[in-house]
Amino acid sequence: MLVGILRYGGLGLLGAAGVYLLKKNPKPRTVWQIDPQVCVACGNCANYCVLEESAVKCTHAFAVCGYCELCSGCFRPDAKELNTGAENQLCPTGAIKRAYVEDPYYEYVIDESLCNGCGKCVKGCNAFGNGSLFLQVRHDRCVNCNECSIAAACPSGAFKRVSAEKPYLLKETHA
Amino acid sequence: MSGVKAESADNIAEAKKCSPWYQAAAGSAVVGCVFSLIVAGLLIENHLHIKILDPVRSERLEMMKLQVIEQPDGERLLPEIRRLDLQIRRSRITRQQFSRRGGYLLAGGLVVLFVGLKSAAVFRKRAPAPGPPGDVRARQVREALLARRAVMLGLCVLGAAGLILTIKAGVDFGKAQTAGSSYPGAEEIRKNWHRFRGPGGLGISAHENVPLRFSGKTGEGILWKKPVPLPGNNSPILWEGRVFLSGADEKSRQVYCFDADSGELLWMGEVGAVGGSLGKAVEVMNDTGYAAPTMVTDGRRACAIFATGDIGCFDFDGKKIWQRNLGVPESAYGYASSLEMYRNLVLVQYDQGVAEDEKSRMLALDGFTGQPVWEVKRPVPNSWTSPIVVEIADKPQLITCGEPWVIACEPGGGREIWRAKCVGGDVAPSPIYAGGFVFAIEPYDKLVAIRPDGRGDVTKTHVAWIAEDGIPDICCPLSNGKLIFLLTTEGTLTCYKVSDGGMVWEKDMKAGFKASPSLAGERVYLLSDKGVMVVIEAAAQYKELARSELGEACFASPAFADGRIYIRGAKNLYCIGGGD
Amino acid sequence: MIRFGDAIILGIFSLLVLCASASGIERFPPPDFESGYELPSPTTPSPREDIYQYVDVLVLAGALAVSSYLVLRKRSRRPIFALMVFSLVYFGFWRKGCVCSIGAIQNISLSIFDSGYAVGLVTVAFFLLPLVFTLFFGRTFCAAVCPLGAIQDVVLFKPISVPGWAESSLRLFAYLYLGLAVLFAATGSAFVICRYDPFVSFFRLSGNLNLLILGACLLLVGVFVGRPYCRFVCPYGVILRQLSRVSKWRVSITPDECIKCRLCEDSCPFGAIEKPTVEWPRRNLAKSKSRLALMILLLPVLTAAGGWLASTVGDPLSRMHATVRLADRIYLEQAGQAEGTTDASSAFRATGRELKELYAEAASIQSEFNIGGWAVGGFVGLVIGSKLIRHSLWRRRADYQPDRAGCVACGRCFEYCPREHVRLNKAKEANT
Repeated sequence: MLVGILRYGGLGLLGAAGVYLLKKNPKPRTVWQIDPQVCVACGNCANYCVLEESAVKCTHAFAVCGYCELCSGCFRPDAKELNTGAENQLCPTGAIKRAYVEDPYYEYVIDESLCNGCGKCVKGCNAFGNGSLFLQVRHDRCVNCNECSIAAACPSGAFKRVSAEKPYLLKETHA
Repeated sequence: MSGVKAESADNIAEAKKCSPWYQAAAGSAVVGCVFSLIVAGLLIENHLHIKILDPVRSERLEMMKLQVIEQPDGERLLPEIRRLDLQIRRSRITRQQFSRRGGYLLAGGLVVLFVGLKSAAVFRKRAPAPGPPGDVRARQVREALLARRAVMLGLCVLGAAGLILTIKAGVDFGKAQTAGSSYPGAEEIRKNWHRFRGPGGLGISAHENVPLRFSGKTGEGILWKKPVPLPGNNSPILWEGRVFLSGADEKSRQVYCFDADSGELLWMGEVGAVGGSLGKAVEVMNDTGYAAPTMVTDGRRACAIFATGDIGCFDFDGKKIWQRNLGVPESAYGYASSLEMYRNLVLVQYDQGVAEDEKSRMLALDGFTGQPVWEVKRPVPNSWTSPIVVEIADKPQLITCGEPWVIACEPGGGREIWRAKCVGGDVAPSPIYAGGFVFAIEPYDKLVAIRPDGRGDVTKTHVAWIAEDGIPDICCPLSNGKLIFLLTTEGTLTCYKVSDGGMVWEKDMKAGFKASPSLAGERVYLLSDKGVMVVIEAAAQYKELARSELGEACFASPAFADGRIYIRGAKNLYCIGGGD
Repeated sequence: MIRFGDAIILGIFSLLVLCASASGIERFPPPDFESGYELPSPTTPSPREDIYQYVDVLVLAGALAVSSYLVLRKRSRRPIFALMVFSLVYFGFWRKGCVCSIGAIQNISLSIFDSGYAVGLVTVAFFLLPLVFTLFFGRTFCAAVCPLGAIQDVVLFKPISVPGWAESSLRLFAYLYLGLAVLFAATGSAFVICRYDPFVSFFRLSGNLNLLILGACLLLVGVFVGRPYCRFVCPYGVILRQLSRVSKWRVSITPDECIKCRLCEDSCPFGAIEKPTVEWPRRNLAKSKSRLALMILLLPVLTAAGGWLASTVGDPLSRMHATVRLADRIYLEQAGQAEGTTDASSAFRATGRELKELYAEAASIQSEFNIGGWAVGGFVGLVIGSKLIRHSLWRRRADYQPDRAGCVACGRCFEYCPREHVRLNKAKEANT
């Protein structure tokens, strides 16, 4: 008898909890994303992802890029020559591909299969360039953990939960 | 695993009687086990490579890249660098692939192992055989007793863990509001002389008991005199027991810390050439020198900036905390704006070039790291004034002067409060705030009094009055709130009334002045470029109180402390005090 | 020539060092292309389709239903084992162990205490469905649906029994874990169940090495000690235990009546079979009555003491929250007691936020921990007190029955019961 009361009381409580939780502004599904305005390109994204190859990759906002010959995201600030020599490049994996467009503009494209999300190019571009390179979580790779371990390690709190319908926080055009 | 092997050894006799399924299962279990162990070992080795060896290689690569730049014959390292870089990249890719595949292989091996073990267990089932019941009652009582004890033990363990955690008390942020501030309060700043012309850049000493006279010839009234290794036009600053100076020539830039009581040089720091100043010589006017800007301190760190754009920050023990190069400033006479500090921010007025180039900016650097916190463009060409931070109506304002704008902004974030278009020419005298007005000077032309309670462009609305006689071109103005004193380079001292700009008196001092006048109590201290200190009364009539000769040329403004004055001559630092 | 050019470049770059804000000021104007070059746009691959999560909920419901049927009606270990392997593969390796019912506790906690955070239908379903099924059928979720339970059950080969008296005390950790998990989740500090999940790195086949090793050790222990995570760690299991006590139908070893043959005594690797009891000795009766009275009096004392202790520990616990850690670090740097700065403290300083604001935020989080500590500590104290009372009571039991709370409905004990064999034979006879 008592048992029965407890059981149905428990059931009622669970039902009420369910209704309360669902009534509270049910949001569509959310995924993790980096806010490029807050990110400081510390390099943790490459190391803390639970996947072997981090789900965070560098993205290029071509509309913001200055197409400079001496790209400060591609080349070290003290680079002697503007070629693909390892001593001149910032990227440790050689993921930034440089192509001549027209004088004096060069196009820079990121090869995602090589990018490891370390953010060195982002730092360089923010410091000396237009800030068109920024890190983003790629959703074809991200497993969408309940608690993102990169988010827990981010020093500037740049990781946010965004709606799965608009899962990217991109940098738009020139101001 | 050895358990399985022992059982299979035991059961081999029996196994011949039971089904070959069991043998197959046990066999596949062994295979799975060995395979899994091998793969696991390889994966661990792979992981160690990634975690330990590769970073070591990357560090070496970085060092070699730096060597290429720093060493003149660095090019010979290039093939080595490229080879190493390629090796690292290849290794990274292959190791990641191996990790992934190895993971699947290990999973597969473990599945084989577990399926084998499970099947072996299934094929080896034995009938249940519970032992004799024993004394049920005694066992019951005993189990209850032990269970209670175990729970008590659990309780003790948790309690102990909790108590241990509370021992290391952290910060209680409810009470941590004011403790351990990283910047000095207003009272502390007022008692020291932490920047050019002291607190607020007003040139007013908080101490009234400063000496009246001294003699450079006899040494009377001079506590000590110490040589300064490298020359500079910057004024001494002091904080509690220390006096800071900087000095520089074309080759080096140094910061000095003297003991305020004994004059002993406690430490000396170098602000090195970083980045842009490499190789390119910076030209400055001889009169200005490389170390014209005065340093700034907040009691925890001291910063100095030089005409090459190098800025360095030292802690009070002489350790360099950070240094940067802000780029060589384009300044016709040489960069001379002194530094200011607001809370943890080092404020740098970086005016350069012509206004159309849009190169001038106001910078705020984090005092801890030198990292830029905010910066604002300034619509002015190069100037030689210094910024001041003063509290007006309980809010701090950062006030700057450059042709043609006097701009006030919030020192915390750089947001502009008001601006007035009222100065022109090569502006060198810095603004001051006294008697409710901000005073700015257009060299040789006018003194402008602006009411600082406006917002936006207040040129037409907040300029209270303008005076036009005896306007200096280098020395900053001095005011005690009622009278304002202007000192020209040629020696004309003019006194105006603060309230309406009416001239009270003027006097030809018959000497040249580069140092700005200062105030202690009701006495105005003037220091001529020949080292003559004239003390007059800050009154409606000119009255000279004392005249002392240092015996050395002086271009820097003095610093005031309790019963002391610190004067930097062309070669020496003097401490006036202990006498009179 | 190159030197001069370098110097120019260096000079320009040094000037530009000024402009290193986080987002990057645009220093170079938009390029004016004359050759008809078209700007490529960045690719934005979408995340997994929404529909798949609802499939997950359906599979969960289906698996729960099948599991309950197999445990209560079919009463056969083989199909339960098969369903368990299916759950392990689907919820574990295919869905990579996330989202799971155990972790859903945290999302629910955060949602209750943080008005800005809402959980979706899927999370609520994953949290509630197993609870509802447990209220009616017992812990059939643990039997064949939970992937963490499945992976432990699958590796169990040589069960050794944990002594009954130790079991209760070890389980204290699970209650503490539940309390802490709710506290950390509700304050927005961390999802500790997710962070320290030992098996998720197996499901993902990658992850933090330390967690992998922890998981491997736990599985190794699990070869001998049945389901160690389920019995002594799982916070969801704590809730399931209480609900399972009042379930409508439950596992029983015998299909009809217990003949006390004792054949099932060693059949449960999880120590969940309760043996029949005898009366306590007379001479102990008075002592045990007074002991019981003492334990009942001790209950509120323990609750209060636990609450007080946990509340005091609230300050160190609050360091789990990133804001409090940052405030700590900034405080040390301000006071000159720390060397240099960290990424986090420089990032904070670069935002120009007021220190007072940061300290105020940290203070409010600390007070949340202090209050929450009362709840967690009180809860754990209450549990300890209840356990002490339970071990001072004598329960009359005539049959061999599974522990209502602890039985995970794995189905191993069925074939040990002769009555079960009778039922099966009868069934076989009926079929022939």
